[in-house]
Amino acid sequence: MNKPENRVDKIVSDLLHGRRLRLSGGDADEKAAITAAARLAAARQGPQRMNPAFRKRLEQALELAPREPWLTRRAALVAGLGVAAGVVSGGLVGRILHGAPTAQVQGGGPIVPIGGRWVDVAAMSDLVEGQGTRVTAGSVGAFVFRRGDTVTAVTSICSHLPCELWWNGGQGLLDCPCHPVSFTAEGKSTDLAYPLPDLNTVHVRVTPAGRVEVLGTA
Amino acid sequence: MSAGRPPDELEAEPDEPGDVLQLPMAPRATDIALGELEIVYAFIYARVGNRADAEDLTQQVAMKAIPRLREGSPASAIRGYLFATARSVLGGFWSTRLGLSEAELHEDLALAVPQSPPSEERADTVQRILAELSDNYRRVLELRFLHGYSLKEVAAEMHSTVGAVKVMQLRALRAAAKVKVYP
Repeated sequence: MNKPENRVDKIVSDLLHGRRLRLSGGDADEKAAITAAARLAAARQGPQRMNPAFRKRLEQALELAPREPWLTRRAALVAGLGVAAGVVSGGLVGRILHGAPTAQVQGGGPIVPIGGRWVDVAAMSDLVEGQGTRVTAGSVGAFVFRRGDTVTAVTSICSHLPCELWWNGGQGLLDCPCHPVSFTAEGKSTDLAYPLPDLNTVHVRVTPAGRVEVLGTA
Repeated sequence: MSAGRPPDELEAEPDEPGDVLQLPMAPRATDIALGELEIVYAFIYARVGNRADAEDLTQQVAMKAIPRLREGSPASAIRGYLFATARSVLGGFWSTRLGLSEAELHEDLALAVPQSPPSEERADTVQRILAELSDNYRRVLELRFLHGYSLKEVAAEMHSTVGAVKVMQLRALRAAAKVKVYP
């Protein structure tokens, strides 16, 4: 598969099947052939218009373009702000007031929901070592991971598009259904060529009775 | 990873209704920008050849450009700004993925701002490329890209082997890259 004709054919095949360009530094020698293949593949399809679902997502993103001190749709989803998210769905956005209690939803940081409370989500014995388990704590969705006696958790919302991640047990990664990106159990983006912010972490604890609790909402 | 006690300031009160509602950008500029982003999307798609990359790059363009747009800007100014951003984003895409320099991307970067989605782009582009190639090169690209043939099918059609077709495809693409697609 190292011969240039094999590498380029793999790229051509991906393009003809509508898959994204998966390139590496070793492909640089064939950059002219690859860019030509991309243009031919595009020409084959004819002029393209945005997919309606993408256009809708883009419209929402535009309306909620990050502007301090604005709260984005993704931030609202991540923080489980039911009220704010409801407002957002109407095309509006909630402003974070100075001095007012807010949800902490910076990239990679922990989620602290407004009016947060600990929610019982599972027994320690329910969690499989190293495997992600999707849990819900009120409006906060999370994946929890057990390593020995320790439990960690990250949000179930992608750090890029506001889409629900799913656990890919075979690869041990959280995959985004909206585009081909994945995150580790620690919330790190796996694609070095297309890095995304870390997933927000979620507060989680284990009670003396062996119950797993996540900081969510009522 | 966070575990254990939550921070102390959890006794939050909900945002007061009616105190928080405001559009980050007035609707007209958003609507204009969305219309212009259709053209940006077609422009990007024509260069990356697949929907997933085109969507990601178009979103990057939107998120970079939109917050800086001022309400009241004419559509032509918005288009110019979006395409300047699109060129920058595309340049970053190729330079990151393939190590292309800006000089090598000159053809894309110097491209004039399109006035509308090019309805005849497919026919023009393909014919311009194929017309410049030798018969065998033209045939292999026609079968692969226009008719969607697999390598095996191309090999059967051209009375050749899969290995030979792969090599011919690579050489044909190299030759196609030398054809000036955009005048």
